[in-house]
Amino acid sequence: MRLTGLDLLFWAAGLAAHLLLLSVLLVRRRFRVFPIFTAFIISNIGRTAALLFVRLYGTKTGYFYTYWSLTALDVVLQLSVVYEMYSLTFRPLGRWAHDLRGAFVWLVAVSIALAAGLTWLATPDAHLWMQVVVIKGSFFSAACMSELFVGMLVLAVRSGLPWKTHVARISQGFGAYSVIDVLIEAGHSYFGVGRDTQAYTTLSHLRMSAYLVCVGYWIAMLWRNAPDSRKLSENLRGQLIQLQNIVDSDLEKLRARTR
Amino acid sequence: MSIRTVYFIVTVAIFVLALVVIAVYYYRRSQKSAQKNWERLLKRLAVVDRSSIAEVALDIIDESGQRRKDEASAVLEPSEIWKLVGGLEGLEAMEANCAVLVDLAFYVQQWYPEALVVAEKLRLSAREIEWHVGRLKSAQQTGKLENAFTMYAQPAVATYYLMTRQVLALYEEGNLAMLAELRNAL
Repeated sequence: MRLTGLDLLFWAAGLAAHLLLLSVLLVRRRFRVFPIFTAFIISNIGRTAALLFVRLYGTKTGYFYTYWSLTALDVVLQLSVVYEMYSLTFRPLGRWAHDLRGAFVWLVAVSIALAAGLTWLATPDAHLWMQVVVIKGSFFSAACMSELFVGMLVLAVRSGLPWKTHVARISQGFGAYSVIDVLIEAGHSYFGVGRDTQAYTTLSHLRMSAYLVCVGYWIAMLWRNAPDSRKLSENLRGQLIQLQNIVDSDLEKLRARTR
Repeated sequence: MSIRTVYFIVTVAIFVLALVVIAVYYYRRSQKSAQKNWERLLKRLAVVDRSSIAEVALDIIDESGQRRKDEASAVLEPSEIWKLVGGLEGLEAMEANCAVLVDLAFYVQQWYPEALVVAEKLRLSAREIEWHVGRLKSAQQTGKLENAFTMYAQPAVATYYLMTRQVLALYEEGNLAMLAELRNAL
């Protein structure tokens, strides 16, 4: 497939947006709080550069293997970003909130089952089995990601664990993009890559536009600082620790009574 | 267009619509929580009989929260507890107040992030009360409410009582101006 001017424009815009976002993460020291998200952005930059290099100087086979290796890495990193956001929200005291463990298992199981069911229904029109795998795999991934981010919002609100400012912004961006991506990947599946690939290409450009908007949102939100907080005095800190110990002991006794 | 493709399109449309509706609903709920001010939080507190709550709780624990072991402890009869708490409705009011107590703790956390420890403890206590009330509701459905009431209601009341003490202690230690207002509400 030949690259058009518009394809190259999206490619360049994606690279520039990621470089800008990485600068924000480094300059504002956000990489310390979000190491996996930063790794995801770095991998996107590397991926774009590597694919361009292989496309210009490599073979078709080389491009094929590079593309698939980096796509697999991208999926792993996306899931790792989900883990990072969950970890920053649901580990308020450095360990997973024990009352939510059952909910996590349900959420993951339902997300996978729903995404798998929807993917099974898809019947994309394609010449090669590999194209079917690409379309179905992308749809499955988009459905799972959208469910996990919406599920995260639901769990956070229902359990009373608030999102920290930047965690909320990254998750909202990812969540919104994933929901849009479900529609686009469903469109890819519906139109397929049979006789006419025009619809597939247009939808791909739409997806890239949505992602660029998402990256722009992250750049703006991560540049801003979270609201300032006051410093807790040593006296108050000591009293809080004492209070926490009393509460621990009280709850243990009350639990024992109901066993 | 095959029938399977029609199913696919319809299912994806329902799926995306459901995700958007759920996301918008919970996002609005989270925004409302974040924008709460002190007065709004206090208005959400349901009316409960404070002296009755203390009487039921102090039947099994002392003021410091330790379990009582003296002969005069745990003497309240199920019918007395039922009356003092205000039945299942009274417990449900306490359950609703638990959510407000957690929000109150988070309100303090806006200025002192270190208060997260207490807020998390309060959140877990609130979930525990929810669990107790859930058991009572199940018992009501199976007609075994009277027996279950002593087993679950009194610990729930004691937990609630401790929570109110924790929140007051938190505000007291923070020297926050709204302490007197909170004392009246709780």
